[in-house]
Amino acid sequence: MTYSNRLSQEAERSLLERLRAREAAALGELYDQLAPWVLGLARRILDDPAEADEVLSDVFVQIWEHIDRHDARRGALTPWVLSIARTRALDALRRRRRWWRKAERWGEAHLAEDGGTLSPPDPGEAGVPGWPVHQEVHAALAGLPEEQRRVVVLAYFEGLTHSEIARRTDQPLGTVKTRLRIAHAKLAEGLKHLKDWRR
Amino acid sequence: MTDWLGMTPRPVAPRAELRAAVLARARGAGRRPRWAAATALVAVVLLVVAGAWWAGVSLQRLGGRVRALETRLAAAQDTMRLLRGPGTRVVQVPVRTAGRLGSVTLFADTVAGRWYVACENLAANRPDEAYQLWFATDAGMVTAALMPMDRSEPMWMALGIPAGVARVTGAAMSIEPRRGSPSPTGPMLFRLNL
Repeated sequence: MTYSNRLSQEAERSLLERLRAREAAALGELYDQLAPWVLGLARRILDDPAEADEVLSDVFVQIWEHIDRHDARRGALTPWVLSIARTRALDALRRRRRWWRKAERWGEAHLAEDGGTLSPPDPGEAGVPGWPVHQEVHAALAGLPEEQRRVVVLAYFEGLTHSEIARRTDQPLGTVKTRLRIAHAKLAEGLKHLKDWRR
Repeated sequence: MTDWLGMTPRPVAPRAELRAAVLARARGAGRRPRWAAATALVAVVLLVVAGAWWAGVSLQRLGGRVRALETRLAAAQDTMRLLRGPGTRVVQVPVRTAGRLGSVTLFADTVAGRWYVACENLAANRPDEAYQLWFATDAGMVTAALMPMDRSEPMWMALGIPAGVARVTGAAMSIEPRRGSPSPTGPMLFRLNL
């Protein structure tokens, strides 16, 4: 598998240094690399293009203001940015009045997309930086059994607590925790090379 | 590791015009805190300087007030010592001025040679006149105090018998020209022997 479109370790280190030095062009480069993924994640969580755009903007504001908080020893830049995006999107989601009704609808609607067969990329989509990682992560998630994938999706994309997932799936809390633990272990194993790469 | 799950959804290409807007907002927001910090720093410095100035002025004002009060307290204590002194005699003289009945109370410390004089309900002087208090001595009248009164109001004063003045045997008060007189010339309001 090739990672030609991913940020190399060296390139990421250089980009980080330039961001910390407040080099405006570096933020533009980071945007070009990660904005499609941030927007994709925000849209997946919010299902609202306008709100997703706001999240995208908030994420890059936060990156620019708090780049010093990124600890390269604890992980690569991409997952750090994605974690900011997820947190921001979930915050926006929770602010909505009809959160539960929408979340349930989206949960059902997106479950297949998150773990189903990966459809062929749209023209130009495969050229987006990070596309190979997307395929790997998607494949790792799709490789999980349905009941494990479901709890991961509800926890990650809907931001539900273990108790909320138990209520939503009508499963005992212990079962939910067990499924999440097993699923995370499988994902960690399946995506181990990403972890290795970022070190 | 779960943070990589953020790459599960398909990428969505942002609208082209979004790039400039997002980056401009991010860079603008990034600059704000520095300006805000600088502004806050200046504000804090100004606040500290203003506070220090205000504290200094207040302390100075309070110090002056304390000194004034100390002076008044010392004067009051001195007056009390005079009033309670074993050699002090008290004489109260009714005085009628411009048809009004008032009084002059004299606390005379014959040992220390100091007087405390309190005037009550004396009529106001005419513009060209003043009350003048006299020490009556063996050698004649010696001026003790000139008291021009433009309004009728209580008045009190402490007087020391000047050195070199012959033995004081009494006191007197007369109405004299505004600038005072070396010896009594006007109407005598009272004269008494101590």
